[in-house]
Amino acid sequence: MAGKVNKMVEKADLFKNGKRIDGRTPMDLRPLKITAGVLDRAQGSCLVEWGRNKVIAAVYGPHEVLPKHLADPTKAIINARYVMAPFSGQEEHGRSGPNRRSIEISKVAKHVFENAVLVEQFPKTMIDVHMEVLQSDGGTRVAGITAGAVALADAGIPLRDMPVGLSAGKIGETLVLDLDKYEDNLGDSDMPFVILPRTGEILLSQMDGMLSREDISQAFDMIFEGAKKVRDKQIEALKTSYERMAAQVTTQGETNQ
Amino acid sequence: MKELVFPGDKVADTPQRIPGCYVEDGQTFASNVALRSDDHIVQLKGYYVPKTGDDIIGIVEEERFSGYNLALNSPYGSSLSARDTRDELKLGDAVYCKILAVNEVKEAVLIEPQKLPTGSMLAIDSVKVPRVIGRNGSMLDTLSKFTGSHITIGKNGIVHVEGGNTSLALKAVEKICRESHTSGLTERITQMLENESRANGGQGEQNG
Repeated sequence: MAGKVNKMVEKADLFKNGKRIDGRTPMDLRPLKITAGVLDRAQGSCLVEWGRNKVIAAVYGPHEVLPKHLADPTKAIINARYVMAPFSGQEEHGRSGPNRRSIEISKVAKHVFENAVLVEQFPKTMIDVHMEVLQSDGGTRVAGITAGAVALADAGIPLRDMPVGLSAGKIGETLVLDLDKYEDNLGDSDMPFVILPRTGEILLSQMDGMLSREDISQAFDMIFEGAKKVRDKQIEALKTSYERMAAQVTTQGETNQ
Repeated sequence: MKELVFPGDKVADTPQRIPGCYVEDGQTFASNVALRSDDHIVQLKGYYVPKTGDDIIGIVEEERFSGYNLALNSPYGSSLSARDTRDELKLGDAVYCKILAVNEVKEAVLIEPQKLPTGSMLAIDSVKVPRVIGRNGSMLDTLSKFTGSHITIGKNGIVHVEGGNTSLALKAVEKICRESHTSGLTERITQMLENESRANGGQGEQNG
């Protein structure tokens, strides 16, 4: 039977001769591709392909709050929904939601977007941010939030800055950026982060495993450095979506003439 | 020189009130994707928030004992008192009104209603309205000339088209919205209207 063979990975394989299991150095990110405006029906949308992760995000609103008693007369409320598709995972990782894990991630994502969106501009409304993980390989919450940020900007929702998600962690004695599933499961620690690059504000900080105070300080520096590359990709995605539209217009114009 | 700015980009060192921007620490930053040219910034997407004095088109969505609730192509609703209107309105009617006041939760109180005749309607992004109208109404004049339609636009982005070649007029408005951030738009729209009118045997111009 033709099929993919899942490699059996052990902890000792994760970091050898200064290289990680997929050949990256500690500071390297997985290949990242962001595409904005992938859905016609949504007000804003984005597809993030980050290593083997594939996450699609869609934004609807601001609209009337339902149920009405949840409405806040001073600001908009964010309804964030992170969920994994039933076919998204490898092995046990990625059961379809809603489950304990997706409820938790939806909650932390909601707090991230509440602090990035200028919610006070739209009192008594609700903004929906849906993040659907189509394929998972570790680091899906940061990929989801990165996608959600681009979808919000694509929808024309006012933002203070675009939130950027990235994870850092530790394998043996080495701190690394952007962990994949094996590094996440078999490594010593995993720390997903979301920041606002302009002000350096931290909107999400979670940790699994143990890190010393010095390690955390170094991981901060690595994340702030790596986040610049992610932000560049977010900007490029938005720019490309408008340029693509302009290019189509020019081509059509030439054809018509 | 035109360039795109993105949320978080600094646009001025001084605090300035610009649509699609916000002020923090005495500086102005972009909050939306916008197009910056030498002297101004134009948002590429946005939402209509009612403002006192705006002329808008509302669509009757609810009839009450004392008046009507109108949908404004906005997250916020509005109300029109029955005392302010002589016409009896029905659900789905389009009404051209002025915003008298906006309360603290941004709901609008409307006055001076004028019921619009039956026609076709299109809801566009309110930030595209100036582009559809054009400088001194030039784009609107072009549209009316080629389609022979009577076109009314509310500041909230509802476009009402009556008479003439309505489908061509709506098609042109959609094209303007889709391509508003590109240069040479007026020429392309004129070209499109000319071609389509010629294909229809100049129907629009005759009616006009």
